[in-house]
Amino acid sequence: MKLLGHLAWGAVSAIAAFCLGGIALNRGEHINSIWLVLAASCTYAVGFRFYARFIAARVMALNDKRATPAERLRNGLDFEPTNKWIVFGHHFAAIAGPGPLVGPVLAAQFGYLPGTLWIIIGAVLGGAVQDFVILFASMRRDGKTLGQMAREEIGKVGGLTALLTVLLIMIILLAVVALVVVNALKGSAWGTFTIAATMPIALFMGLYLRYWRPGKVLECSLIGFALVVASIFGGRSVAESASLGPVFTLSAMALAVAIIIYGYLASVLPVWLFLAPRDYLSTFVKLGVVFMLAVGILFVRPQLEMPAFTRFVDGTGPIFSGKIFPFCFITIACGAISGFHALISSGTTPKLIAREWHAWPVGYGSMLLESFLAIMAMIAACVLQPGVYFAVNSPAGVVGATAEAATATISGWGFPVTAGEMAELARNMGEQTLFFRTGGAPSLAVGMAHIFARSSGGEALLGFWYHFAIMFEALFILTIIGAGTRVGRFMLQDLLGHAWKPLGQAGWIPGVLGLSAAVVAAWGYFLVQGVRDPLGGINSLWPLFGISNQLLAAIALCVATTILLKMHGPRFMWITCVPLAWLVTVTFTAGWQKIFSPLPAVGFLAQADKLEAALAAGTAADAAATRALIFNARLDAAITAIFLVLVATILIDSFRVWAGILSGARAAVVSESPFVLSQLRPEEL
Amino acid sequence: MSSIRRLCDLVLALLRELADESAYQRHLQAHGRNHSGEEWRHFCEERLGAKYTRPKCC
Repeated sequence: MKLLGHLAWGAVSAIAAFCLGGIALNRGEHINSIWLVLAASCTYAVGFRFYARFIAARVMALNDKRATPAERLRNGLDFEPTNKWIVFGHHFAAIAGPGPLVGPVLAAQFGYLPGTLWIIIGAVLGGAVQDFVILFASMRRDGKTLGQMAREEIGKVGGLTALLTVLLIMIILLAVVALVVVNALKGSAWGTFTIAATMPIALFMGLYLRYWRPGKVLECSLIGFALVVASIFGGRSVAESASLGPVFTLSAMALAVAIIIYGYLASVLPVWLFLAPRDYLSTFVKLGVVFMLAVGILFVRPQLEMPAFTRFVDGTGPIFSGKIFPFCFITIACGAISGFHALISSGTTPKLIAREWHAWPVGYGSMLLESFLAIMAMIAACVLQPGVYFAVNSPAGVVGATAEAATATISGWGFPVTAGEMAELARNMGEQTLFFRTGGAPSLAVGMAHIFARSSGGEALLGFWYHFAIMFEALFILTIIGAGTRVGRFMLQDLLGHAWKPLGQAGWIPGVLGLSAAVVAAWGYFLVQGVRDPLGGINSLWPLFGISNQLLAAIALCVATTILLKMHGPRFMWITCVPLAWLVTVTFTAGWQKIFSPLPAVGFLAQADKLEAALAAGTAADAAATRALIFNARLDAAITAIFLVLVATILIDSFRVWAGILSGARAAVVSESPFVLSQLRPEEL
Repeated sequence: MSSIRRLCDLVLALLRELADESAYQRHLQAHGRNHSGEEWRHFCEERLGAKYTRPKCC
C-alpha cells in the first residue's frame, strides 16, 4: 500500500515536471490550456502533500490534542469549532477578490509563461506559506490580528507601521479596483444598467431580510440572483432603446463620480440595508462563477493564442511599462502572494478552526485554490488573439485614438488585428466598442464569454455571457469598495481617536460622516487621477497597488520569521526568509524604478520632468491638465516612497529583534497561549 | 449515492455559514432564544457590526 502511495506521488511529480517543462520549453507553437491546468494542479498537489506537511509536522508541530481558540473561547459567534471544509470554503471566499483575476490578465502582456510560472511557484513557496504560518501563529495566540502580533513579536513600531501600511494600501486598492470598474463600464449602456440594477436589488434584499423574511439569507440571495440575471437580459433592451440607451451610456468621469457617491453611501448607510445583502449576493455569485469557469476550461480545453513570451518583456509594454523583473512579480500579487491574505488568516478564520491540523488545508490549501483561480484568469486572457487582447487593454494614449490607428500600431508590433474584427467582436458582445478598455476586466470577460459560450449556448449567448462576467466582476468589486471605505473609516477613527476622543466614537454621526468623506476623498482622488491619465491610469495605479500589497506581505513574513526564530532558533527561518528576501528585492527594485527610472513611461519623477519640459516649451496641449498630471506623478512618487520607508522601518526593527535573539541578548519568548487538552468530540465537527 | 448526499450537505452547510444562517442558529442556541424578527435584527446588529470593521481581501 505504501509502495502504491510512493508510486502515485512519483507519477504526480513526474506529470508536474513534464507539464512545467512542456510549457516552459515550448516555442513557436500554440499549446492547449490543459498543460497549464495539469502543471499547476500537480505542482500544488506535491507542494501540499510534502512541503506544507513538512511545515505542519516539523516546524509548527501541529497537535490535534491541543484545544484551539474556537474550542477554548467558544462563544457561538466568532469563536466556533467548524467543519474543516466549511472553514476552507469560508476562508477561500474571503481571500478571493479581484486581484487574482485582474493581475494575471494584465501580466499576460509579457506572454503566458512568466506569469504562469510566478503564479505556481510563488504560491507554493511563498503565498501559501505566508497564509499558513500566519494562520498558525494567530491560532496559537487566541486569534490575534497581524497588527497585534507585529506589536507583540517585533515591537510598537512594527504594530503602528502595519496599521498605517494597511490604511494606505486600502486607499490605493479602492482607487485601482474602482478604475477597473469604470473602464469596464464606460460607454456600455448594457453593463451600466446591469450594475445600476444591483443597487435597488440590494436595497430590496436588505428590506426583505430585515422585515419580511428575517434570517432567510439563502432564499433572499436566490431571489436577488434571479433579479440580477433578469437585469442582464433586460440590459440588452435598455442598451438598444433610443430613449434609455443614452441615459445609461456614461463617460468614464461620470462613472467615477457615481462610484464615489456609491462608496460614500455604502459606508454610511446601515450595513443591513445595503452592504450586507450585496456582500451575500456577490459572495455566492463569485463562488459560482469560479466553479463555472473551472468546469468551462476543463470542458472546452481552449488553445492559448498568446505566445510564451511577447516582445514586451523588454519593458515597452502598452498596458504597463517596465521589464519582467520586477514588474511581472508585482503585477501578479494575489494569485501568487498577497499581504492582504495575512489579514484574513489572522481575522475570522483562526477563530473557526476546530483542530490544529485543519490549518493545513485551510491555510495552505485555500491559497493554492486562489492561485488556481489566477491560472484560470491567465488562460481566459491568453485564449484571445493577441491582437484583440492588446486592442482591448491598451490605452488610446499609447496605440492611437482611432480604431484604424490602434489596429495599425498593434499589427505593427506583430499582433495582427483589424478594425473590422474588433467591430464584429464588439457587436457579438453587445457593446459599441471594445477598444481602450484598460484594467483587465473587459478582456477577462471576453475570454470568459468565449469559454462559457463554447460550453453552453454558443455564439448567440456571447453577449449575455460577456455581461454576466462583467456583472460578476463589478458586483464584487463594488462590494469591496463599500466595505473597504467603511473599514478605512474605522481605521481612521482608531488613529484619530487618540488625538480627539469624539472622532474615535463609532456612534458620533458627524465623525462617521466626516471620516467616511475623508476616506472616499482619498481613494476618489486617485480614481479621478486614473480616469484623467492619458495612459489609462492602470499604468501608474496597478504597480502602486502591487508594490503596496507585496510590502504588506513582507511585513507578514517579518512577523512569521520572528515567530519561527523564537520557536526553533535559525533552523527553519529559511521557510519564510526566502520568500521575504525575494519580495523585498522585487518590491524595493520596483519601487525604486517607479520613483527614479529615467524612462518617463516607468519613473514617476521622469514623467513629471518630461511634462514640465513640455509645459515650459509650450508644447503641452492643455496647460492646466498638464500641471495636474505633473502633481499626480510627484504624488505617486511620494506615496511609493512612503511605502518603502514604512516597510524599511519594519524590516530594520525585525533585523534588530532577530539579531538580539541570535546573539542571545534578547530572550526568545514564544507568546503562545498555554496548552489545554482538547475535549472536542468527533461528532461536534 | 451517500457520498453525493454528503457532498450536497457539505455545500449547503458552507452556503449557510457564508450566509450567516448557521451563526444565527448558534446565536439562538447560545442564548436559549427562539427565532423572531426582533431576534434576527438584534443578531444582525452584533454580527454585521463586527464583520464590516475587518478589511475585505483584494
